[in-house]
Amino acid sequence: MQTIQPHRGSVFVAVHAHVAEVPHFGGGLCARLVAEGYTGFLVRTTNDESSGGKTAAQNILANETEHAAMAKALGFKDVFELSYCSHRMNEISPLELRGRLVFIFRLVKADVVLSFRPSSEGEPDSDRWITGRAVEEACQTAGSTNDFHEHAEAGILPHAVRQRYWFHARPGQAFNRVVDITPYLDKKIDAIVECRSQNGDAGSLLRARLAKEGRRLEMLGDDDRTADRAYVRQFLLEEFRAYAQGHGFDYAERFDYIGPPEDQSAKVEDYIAKNAVRMVR
Amino acid sequence: MRRRKFLAGTAALGAVPALAQANQSPAARERSPDLPARFTPSAWATRKTGYTPFAVPDYFTFASDLAVERNVTGKPHTGKVLAAVQAHSDDIPLFCGGTVAKLIDEGYAGYLIRVSNDEASGTTLGHGVAQNESDAQNVGKQLGCRKTISFYYRNHRMDDGAIIELRARLIFLFRVLRVNTIFTMDPYNHYDENPDHIVVGKAVEGACWMSGNRDYPEHYKAGLQPTHIQEKFYYARSPQGHNLVNRIVDVSSYIDVKTRANMANLIKGPAGNGGVRLREYLRAQGKRLPLLGNDDDTANFQYVKHFLMEDFRVLGQQFGIGYAEAFRYIGPDTPYLDRIRRAALEQSVAL
Repeated sequence: MQTIQPHRGSVFVAVHAHVAEVPHFGGGLCARLVAEGYTGFLVRTTNDESSGGKTAAQNILANETEHAAMAKALGFKDVFELSYCSHRMNEISPLELRGRLVFIFRLVKADVVLSFRPSSEGEPDSDRWITGRAVEEACQTAGSTNDFHEHAEAGILPHAVRQRYWFHARPGQAFNRVVDITPYLDKKIDAIVECRSQNGDAGSLLRARLAKEGRRLEMLGDDDRTADRAYVRQFLLEEFRAYAQGHGFDYAERFDYIGPPEDQSAKVEDYIAKNAVRMVR
Repeated sequence: MRRRKFLAGTAALGAVPALAQANQSPAARERSPDLPARFTPSAWATRKTGYTPFAVPDYFTFASDLAVERNVTGKPHTGKVLAAVQAHSDDIPLFCGGTVAKLIDEGYAGYLIRVSNDEASGTTLGHGVAQNESDAQNVGKQLGCRKTISFYYRNHRMDDGAIIELRARLIFLFRVLRVNTIFTMDPYNHYDENPDHIVVGKAVEGACWMSGNRDYPEHYKAGLQPTHIQEKFYYARSPQGHNLVNRIVDVSSYIDVKTRANMANLIKGPAGNGGVRLREYLRAQGKRLPLLGNDDDTANFQYVKHFLMEDFRVLGQQFGIGYAEAFRYIGPDTPYLDRIRRAALEQSVAL
């Protein structure tokens, strides 16, 4: 576990469409960034009305509550809810969504974002790639003085996002960074089990089912919390475990990482330093 | 043009009577003989000089509770904020510049918000955008606005975009600026040819309501507060516009400010260097019009005031005032709950 905080003063924003996505695809990295000094903010673009097995209204309320609990488990400072209708984001204005993300990135002065790959190969959930696409655009636009310039009226100034971590959410999606999340595994599991409307309670449900059948699984323990955590560890994190093996650690998350753009002005200054000659007057 | 001539009224025209009367049609009268007596007209054909299409619209529909708003003394609106939202740099100065100037003089802090980039007027697209940006700033200054803000959407293409995005930006500004009162094109203005006007009117209307409630909660995390727009002044575009009018504002004391605001639009709208051009035209005919004076500024000022503003004076005459502007005015919400409680208390008996 990191004890020093080299990133104190830096800010990251994790943007997902549905409650369980950040904990599942990037919960370990989020916990790690917080531990290393980052201040984290969480943005959910949908209202998750389609997830939870209840009425749309009950699903919205349950997911909203669970989202806050999940954010707390990972150490996020605050949560932004954009509340677009789940699985219907195709119908919204991309520009309006981008504008809201630009506002948030500027407001919190985001240095790093986590979200879905804008191209999202193999992704059947349109909410995900629409969210990723808007995040990518907003990262750039947030640094542009002339875009949404009215924000300056509230003292909210342009601020470019310099690093992006795109989730590896489907087989076949590209990644170029593997993050050892082993020390943060418990935090990741804590976050996933808070998402009860999106499979976080699978362990306790299984334990109840088995009890009805007169059976039990040793690993599910004697209480719901233990059962939920054990279920996540055993069944939901298999791919994170399997991929980590090749890198010599226990659990890993994968990302397509895009770092800060190259500083062109430094190149120019370097060229000047090497080639400029003194003027003869 | 024939239509305007037919509708031209029988107004007594003061400042430039000879020219004005030349534009009157002998057939023009209060009621057309072609309209059978059993029909009651539901719209009033306005009286116009024919000097400019961009003053009062062809028709108004007047509400039975119409009120005339006159000058007030002092600064009764101190602490309040108005936002005048226009699609183009000439909309506010032409159609409601007098009332905006009046309210600012009476204490309002004013902000001018221009939504388009006005690229459609200018020798090139770039020239149009740059000159209108500068002109819009000067219009705001002439009206006494604290600031002019431009959004730069493409001119005459605003129905191409998502109105929700524009509305979101307006909600943000209304909350930041703590706006109490807005001016904009009537979102229900009939027969308006310009799509930008309708888009802006609808966006403003929605933003007025939504800026007071819980939409865009991220704004509140930035420390902004909901703002409740208490008063709305909707104006009609001319000549084709037609809206319901329930408020006539006497802008006689502010007609010079309005004139100057219109002069600030150098390449958009009917003002610009019109006075200078008219003087040159007369000179080429071997004539001069004393009204236009001996310098460019005087010529342009008098041209705008005595030709382009003349229809506003004719409108004012109908209400016994000098210059007038007409609005669909929507005032503060009725305090329903207070009324229910008051009525309940009056009818209550002791426990």
